[in-house]
Amino acid sequence: MTANPTDLALSGLTKSFGGTLAVDNVTLRISAGEMVALLGPSGCGKTTTLRMVAGLVQPTSGDVLIDGYRVTHIPVHRRNIGMLFQNYALFPHLTVAQNVAFGLQMRRVSRAEVASRVTTALRLVQLDPFAERLPSALSGGQQQRVALARAIVIEPSLLLLDEPLGALDKSLREAMQGEIRAIQKRLGITAVMVTHDQEEAMTMADRIVVMRGGVLEQVGTPEEVYSHPANRFVAGFLGASNFLRGSALGREGGEVVMRLDGGGLARVRAGAGPGGPLIAIRPEAVRLQPASAEAPVENGIPGTVEQVRYRGQSTHIHLRLDDGESFLAYLSNGDEAVPRQGFRPGDRMLASWSSASATMIADA
Amino acid sequence: MMASGSSATLDAPVAARPIRLPRWSVGLFLLLPAVAFLVVFLVIPSLTLLSYSVLTQSAAGDVGLPFSVSGYGRLLLTPAYQRVTVLTLKIALLTSLFTALLAYPLAMVIAYGHSALSRLTMMLVVAPLVVSVVVRTYGWQLLLGSGPNGVVNWALGLFGLGQVSLQILYTEWAVVVASVHVFLPLMVLPIATSLSRISPSLNEAARMLGASAFRAFLRVTLPLSVPGLAVGLTIVFSLTAASYVTPQMLGGPRGLMLGILLEQQVTTVFDWPMGSAIATLMVVIALGAHIGVTWMLNRRRAAVPAAQGEA
Repeated sequence: MTANPTDLALSGLTKSFGGTLAVDNVTLRISAGEMVALLGPSGCGKTTTLRMVAGLVQPTSGDVLIDGYRVTHIPVHRRNIGMLFQNYALFPHLTVAQNVAFGLQMRRVSRAEVASRVTTALRLVQLDPFAERLPSALSGGQQQRVALARAIVIEPSLLLLDEPLGALDKSLREAMQGEIRAIQKRLGITAVMVTHDQEEAMTMADRIVVMRGGVLEQVGTPEEVYSHPANRFVAGFLGASNFLRGSALGREGGEVVMRLDGGGLARVRAGAGPGGPLIAIRPEAVRLQPASAEAPVENGIPGTVEQVRYRGQSTHIHLRLDDGESFLAYLSNGDEAVPRQGFRPGDRMLASWSSASATMIADA
Repeated sequence: MMASGSSATLDAPVAARPIRLPRWSVGLFLLLPAVAFLVVFLVIPSLTLLSYSVLTQSAAGDVGLPFSVSGYGRLLLTPAYQRVTVLTLKIALLTSLFTALLAYPLAMVIAYGHSALSRLTMMLVVAPLVVSVVVRTYGWQLLLGSGPNGVVNWALGLFGLGQVSLQILYTEWAVVVASVHVFLPLMVLPIATSLSRISPSLNEAARMLGASAFRAFLRVTLPLSVPGLAVGLTIVFSLTAASYVTPQMLGGPRGLMLGILLEQQVTTVFDWPMGSAIATLMVVIALGAHIGVTWMLNRRRAAVPAAQGEA
């Protein structure tokens, strides 16, 4: 059961529902064997994009190309695409084995071959002892594994995942993320998943596509998107981020020198994107020390401690800057070198960071 | 509740405690009016009727002892009466099958269509129920009449089929057509309810697995809507088998059903034991339809766990 890896391309894909653009001119190339996550808040067009790839929604304009072939007008049932649904969508009147066999029967595969391929697929998801049960007799995680077996047994050219783990609790979800990812890699199936959970996207996907309002905001590996967000929206949607406003003074080597509106200078690594008037600093990159001199420092800004929240792995310190903006620092509780005792509300602190951990981004 | 204010009772003089009825008796009291109504107007008359069917009628017309099942004997053994029973079952069966065939597309529009279209369809489907059965049946008489008087035959004539005259009125087919018309909503509504409970993603999953729209319907939608279909079939079958006005006005001599036979026996022949036997047979047919469909549903459900034993 190994798929022939195929690539997927979306070209100017657009969908409007009664005048409102749900997906606006999306162009994207997904290489064979890759797993890409469409990430964004609800209503960003990620599900509509996925359903256009599936053939469940007809695009207003643009094309879907699988392996270079235009499939835009090929009906759903001839596209040979496997799909996992959020509610599993197992046929409740059929047993686990009958569910998995369904796609093969539709392809008129011989009875003997259906039996052997169903067994292989169920073994892959470790559910072969449950073959004769009804889906209702299985747990949520087991049901989604049946759905996975049902989707891959037809040797699809693509695997689509529509928030597949949304209905599971946290620990099971993490186990399933690993399991689905391992099977997808083993079979080399090109996969596209839709999620609003940034952690899930970062854990599972080779590349993340951040969407907003039907438009692609940023496409990149989880690391690229997290540490070099293109704009304020991406930085804020993937994890937490601090934003400082400033204006560029000039370049020095590979860095841009900026004057912060709140006073002080900052050196920022020149980003991949066009840059902008904001500096984004991840809270875990922030160091805190008691503010001694009031003289402006490079890559630092003074503030007052407002709240200290112990969170287990880390302690979250909420600072209020002099211009009224809030500023967040996560201090790791595992790192002995980081002082985390003695912060009390009202203390004056200097928050600082390294040039490498700050990114210049657009205010959008 | 007064009883819950326990602190208040400490300094207050002990008042007469309200009579507390046991919980179960409250339900009983609430049921009493309806139960009494049903006993007086349904249970007792039904039992009387049932008892008449096994008693004999004197020359003076009084029904009494001795016991006799001659009514049933005549009903079930006389060829003429056998034909009436068979025709009744046939009309009921044909009506429920045609109704089911017509009901599925309508139920799918109601369950899956855009809300405006869905509501319009619902109104059109329910419309026959708000028209009096007599008016509706006269309508069918006009439509199905033979020769140039019937609208259907007149329309066929317009299309150049001049001399062809369909004889529908005063046959069992007129009864089937009119029954399908009036009982359609009773089939559509339970099926639509069943359909709307099926998650749309099941159909999508079937399509993605390679099923054409029609095969997805056959393999997924249809089996999952069987509970609604069963309800519809039972209702339509029972009501058609028990109908009186429709076969009386449209069936003619070739559409003689049990209901008409019953009316003849009671109001023309004054044979109460025979009439009671017919009435009992009609109840048995209705109950039989219900029990038969329920049994088939249960067997279908039991079939799946049975398959587990083979593995």
